Amino acid sequence: MMRWSLVRLAVYGIPTVLILCPMGLFLLSSFWSMSGNKMSHSWTLANYRAFFANASYWGIYLQTIKLAGIVALFGLASGYIVAYLIWRQRGPLRYMLLLFSVIPLAMNYIVKIYAMRGILGFNGVLNSALVWSGLLAKPSTMFVFNQTAVLITMAVIYLPFAILPIFLSLERIPHSLVEASADLGAPPGQTFRRVVLPLSLPGSVVGGLFVMVLSLGDFLTPQMVGGSQGFTFGRAIWSQFGMAFNWPFGAALAVMLLLAIAVILAAARLLTRYRSVS
Amino acid sequence: MTRSERITIAVLWVFAGFVFVLLYGPAVLVATLSFFDMDRGQIAWGSFSLTHYESLLENKSILAALGNTLMVAFTAVVIATILALGLAYYMRTGQRRGRAYVEFIIFLPFVLPAIITGISLLVAFREVGVDRGLTTVAIGHIVVVIAIIYRMVMVRLEALETSQLEASADLGATQFQTFRLVVVPQLASAMVTGALLAFTISFDETLVTFFLAGSDPTLPLRLWAMMRVGFSPEINALVTIVLLGTMVLATLGALSLRRSIAKERA
Repeated sequence: MMRWSLVRLAVYGIPTVLILCPMGLFLLSSFWSMSGNKMSHSWTLANYRAFFANASYWGIYLQTIKLAGIVALFGLASGYIVAYLIWRQRGPLRYMLLLFSVIPLAMNYIVKIYAMRGILGFNGVLNSALVWSGLLAKPSTMFVFNQTAVLITMAVIYLPFAILPIFLSLERIPHSLVEASADLGAPPGQTFRRVVLPLSLPGSVVGGLFVMVLSLGDFLTPQMVGGSQGFTFGRAIWSQFGMAFNWPFGAALAVMLLLAIAVILAAARLLTRYRSVS
Repeated sequence: MTRSERITIAVLWVFAGFVFVLLYGPAVLVATLSFFDMDRGQIAWGSFSLTHYESLLENKSILAALGNTLMVAFTAVVIATILALGLAYYMRTGQRRGRAYVEFIIFLPFVLPAIITGISLLVAFREVGVDRGLTTVAIGHIVVVIAIIYRMVMVRLEALETSQLEASADLGATQFQTFRLVVVPQLASAMVTGALLAFTISFDETLVTFFLAGSDPTLPLRLWAMMRVGFSPEINALVTIVLLGTMVLATLGALSLRRSIAKERA
């Protein structure tokens, strides 16, 4: 009996101590303040007030949500196209293509940012190619250390995260439905519009929302390719834990980020429920 | 298929090709650059050599960072696998009211962005008075990877029929014997797959690690520090090796996943 209660303690205790307690402390710490170089446990709303009072934080907050939204839309659209083409294949080719679209997930994140920086830079591959092909007379600064650079880099880095969930939601469509539609005389285009797309869209949008969450929380990509123009909310949070060294304020900013993410995840949950009903 | 549909599909394939170029282009570029010298921003095609790889081998700080990464990944994966196996087995045997609670908690770090997990653990370690170092990094990695191993093991466990466990108990096996002789052998492939995936994730983990690392960097942090100084062929060589390593790991993971799915169907 004694042994079983120990087991139960471990089963519920370890996840609680390892994950839930730190997250609780993080929420609490957003109501603390800094005194000198240490966090003091006196309660205050000053951190949140500072966020709401400062229009520039608000601005970055909304701008980052918009940025993540565009990244997610790109991931959804191009991820859907790739996933759909893979889904149509049969045999070894299908598995190969799937593998190739998943492998980039395992490529080191820092490495991808580094490579993208080499491509987007002023003397980078993209500019060289545009000048060489005659589209541009001289290298452009359009995608050098600004929001556009952050957008392109995030879109490329997070795209593979969309392909897999979209493929899985296509895979969940019973094959009999597609065959029935064809048997009843619908041309492939119509089958796609009336059967495949409606059934796979909710799950695909969830994949897109996943990409949005990832890009909302990213702070290294904007740091690396964004320069001073490409400031994002993730960077604002991170700077509070680095140079600015105001952890409670940083935690309050992170809570604001968490709120945005909670809304996104709630939307994703609604979509999955809708799918299981239909 | 009508003519217009065939054209649409062809256009989509062209687009998909473009996407694959986007996904692999950066990596291919870096790998190419690692074999050549740069001359005023241009590749000197005549300078093919492996010198950048050789100078990498003499770089003590990179080797140390690689050692740190492997140590952290190994420790975190072993501990997380044991934890995940224990949790999943406990939840599978009997109606556990707390199952939803535990699954909600361990999936939090998986669903929420790394910055939240990183800050949470950082604040917690500070409050408890633990200094940042490789131990805190390893704990962070356990938190990050436990959900994926749990999921892998749980899917396999749920496919396992309860009658097997009952038969084993009827034949007089103790609970531990049932676990060791009936359950574990059937879980081996799921555990290996989960552990491989977890190892890949831990090897690359950067965003949580950033908050938890002390003065000993892991490889991604070392890469980051080198990159801020600027481009060098040496970084390209390092990056190429890292890419190759993770791709081999990921392919092994995918193959093992496929094998375990095939087994399930059989």
